[in-house]
Amino acid sequence: MRFKIKKDHYGYFFIAPFVIGFLVFGLYPIYNTFQLSFTDTTLMSRTAEFVGMKNYTRLFADDFFMKAVKNTWLLWILNFIPQIGIAMLLSVWFTSTRLRIKGVGAWRAIFYLPNLLMPAAVARLYFGFFDFYGPVNQLLVQTGVIPEAMHFLQEVVFARGLVVFIQWWMWFGQTIIIVMAGMTAIPIHLYEAAMVDGATSLQMFMRITLPLLKPILIYIFVTSLVGGMQMFDIPYMLTDGRGSPLSSIMTNSLQMYMKFASSKGHIGAASSVGVLVFIMTTIFALGIFYFLRERN
Amino acid sequence: MKSFYTLRTNIMRVFVYLTLFILLVLTVVPIWLLLVNATRSTPEIQQGLSMIPSTHLIENYQILKSKGIDMFRGFTNSGFVALASTITSVYFSLLTAYGIVIYDFKGKKLMSNFVVLLVLIPMQLSIVGFYQYMSKLGLTDTYASLILPMIANAGGVFFGKQYLESMIIYDLIDAARIDGASELGIFHRIMFPIAVPGAVTMGIFAFVASWNSFFGPFVLISSFEKYTLPMLVKTLRGDVYRTEYGAIYLGLAITIVPILIVYAIFSRFIVNGISMGAVKE
Repeated sequence: MRFKIKKDHYGYFFIAPFVIGFLVFGLYPIYNTFQLSFTDTTLMSRTAEFVGMKNYTRLFADDFFMKAVKNTWLLWILNFIPQIGIAMLLSVWFTSTRLRIKGVGAWRAIFYLPNLLMPAAVARLYFGFFDFYGPVNQLLVQTGVIPEAMHFLQEVVFARGLVVFIQWWMWFGQTIIIVMAGMTAIPIHLYEAAMVDGATSLQMFMRITLPLLKPILIYIFVTSLVGGMQMFDIPYMLTDGRGSPLSSIMTNSLQMYMKFASSKGHIGAASSVGVLVFIMTTIFALGIFYFLRERN
Repeated sequence: MKSFYTLRTNIMRVFVYLTLFILLVLTVVPIWLLLVNATRSTPEIQQGLSMIPSTHLIENYQILKSKGIDMFRGFTNSGFVALASTITSVYFSLLTAYGIVIYDFKGKKLMSNFVVLLVLIPMQLSIVGFYQYMSKLGLTDTYASLILPMIANAGGVFFGKQYLESMIIYDLIDAARIDGASELGIFHRIMFPIAVPGAVTMGIFAFVASWNSFFGPFVLISSFEKYTLPMLVKTLRGDVYRTEYGAIYLGLAITIVPILIVYAIFSRFIVNGISMGAVKE
């Protein structure tokens, strides 16, 4: 309708490279990972046998795997809650016509900055800060907060806390930008009408802002979940790469990598970790997406 | 009554600025410390905190070099991979997005939804299957294994689609068709020049993603001389370097300075680009 000359079949040519690229570099590797997960393939041997569900039954019986799944959820949830909380709070402040905060663009730009930095380098940086001889210990001892330097990263609470903090530090700015974009898209006359009716700011937030922000919140939730379930760089770089102390920051991806990089290279077993997490994440992501979407 | 209202607003304002200031300190101080420490010698760093740069930048670089870490080579490797990935990703993402937006072919809607689905799927978790497959093709330890998958970058297509929908001028395409231009020619010569701002935004995101990417290269690349910067950062995690504080900070600084420069120039593009993918659902 839009064109005088119809050339719509050309659409197939334009999407062909993407489709072929996806089949070759996206779908086949997924299929291959599934296939490998039913075998005992290692990187060292040429032959491999079909072992059925053995990799999976072994994983479910393995406390280590269950712990990794729990850790991943814990580390993700603990950084997601303050992330979305602070983003909502700051977005309300930034968009408030009563407060009229100055330099909103600059604040947002600065808070977003950590998101662009290399996660591996950020983790190494914080490792340096919280080292036994690092600046945090120096400062705390000098000011008398603690009597002597501590091995922070050997304590479960601090190691987990630091992973959570770094994740939050890297992502809260981005969440602010997205939430704020959603809030400014809400028509102002809705608030004006509510004000005429004598609504309080809390009522306006609960009855207008939150419901209309739902699609944006779902987007943030789902993308953050998908990213969080694959968390690797920061827990890997922060301690010994095996989730120390006491496997407290061992995540799914870390465990998958450990099986992959083990002396024999158990890629069959590593694949089964990937597949399970893949399924778990996809089910949760799509579930949230479908249950919470607007029903017209 | 009115003065009470303004008083309350002013107290609130003080509280808001205080919170913003704390967040500012939390955001900027670690990065500033990193940059400053890159110019300080290890003894200086051990003596205590300082916010003022020192003069040991070159010395720190030489320490890194003497311990076998060639940051310059890592920098060129990362630069090459990131640039090639960016070009591949931007070109093919726009090509695909253009195809979906412009043509009314059968399965267009399906394709469009499929791209959203792909964005939500955790691809990284198929890395083991990808690795074995690449090794069969003889592509492990080559940059091709990092660059070629960018042909099918779902996030890029999604962004490109949102962008093109907001700016395509159909009359222009029609006019070009009447003049006898080929469809691919229209894409190259008419659409691309108009879409440059979108392509730049997309390109920045693709570049940063590739520059910072660790897991993929870490699994796929094995020769030390092909290491990208995040892998060199991983090497810096080793015990050999543990006490070379100044040198380590310099190594880390080298990985983030290019990003800081890009951000200083393009921050407006970047901040606008983030909300673009999300809001126009």
